[in-house]
Amino acid sequence: MEKKLDSSGEKKLKCGDVSKCFQLLESILDGEDKDASKEVLKEKLSKCQPCFEHYHLEQAIREVLKNKCTKQSVPGELANSIRQKIEDIK
Amino acid sequence: MSEVQKKKYSDKEKNNIFDHEFMPHIDSMYNFAFRLTFDEDDAKDLVQDTYLKAYRFINSFEQGTNAKAWLFRILKNSFINEYRKKSKQPSKVDYQEVETYYNSDSVDYNITSDLRIDAVKDMLGDEISNALNSLAVDFRTVIILCDLEGFTYEEMAKILDIPIGTVRSRLHRARNLLKEKLHSYAKNMGYDTEEE
Repeated sequence: MEKKLDSSGEKKLKCGDVSKCFQLLESILDGEDKDASKEVLKEKLSKCQPCFEHYHLEQAIREVLKNKCTKQSVPGELANSIRQKIEDIK
Repeated sequence: MSEVQKKKYSDKEKNNIFDHEFMPHIDSMYNFAFRLTFDEDDAKDLVQDTYLKAYRFINSFEQGTNAKAWLFRILKNSFINEYRKKSKQPSKVDYQEVETYYNSDSVDYNITSDLRIDAVKDMLGDEISNALNSLAVDFRTVIILCDLEGFTYEEMAKILDIPIGTVRSRLHRARNLLKEKLHSYAKNMGYDTEEE
């Protein structure tokens, strides 16, 4: 059984159930689990080091992906060529 | 599958839906297509085919509902049916194997705690992009839909024709795989990822 935290605010260095916790943190970051999110987040991030690290790493990866992988520019003529093709099949 | 209530749109309504609900998603569609095919011409063809199909089946689309998810679903199905064989990278995944493995609780989580966040943040677009591109198509797809396009689990389940539980576990597995790739890049960049 895990020891209860004392009031010094030390973080647990081992998470009791990484599989469950990490999946929950991911679903919170994904915008699912909206009800539980605030409470659970505060609790986990302030008390558990692995959860804290996992959460921030996940967040960083998402930001980076979003900033760096969505800039494929659409070929200029594509929209027009689609419209043209649609006119043809009308 | 429940029978979709068919609409009967006038030509004017069709054009209106097409211009205001479908075309605004062309950037996202092209990005998705490009990440599936790795080829500009294939991506263009795929997007074009998707829009032509969308127009042809526009009566199955209910105005005001999620057009983006609807279009992504068509694009993904077209990719599977027509473009997958042409695509340059092999992209087969044995779900059964990976999902059983994931569910067995034996996934190595060490990788998440020893990779420094700074290393990820400092990566260049190409490194991030290559890491994402190197994932098998089914893992890549869930990351694109969720992290790049912001679809909900429920929308992803509909786009991919899989249960929500599978979306969740596939996404989780995909992220661990992506982290492994990023971890190698970080190491090559000289980040000391082996913390005490």
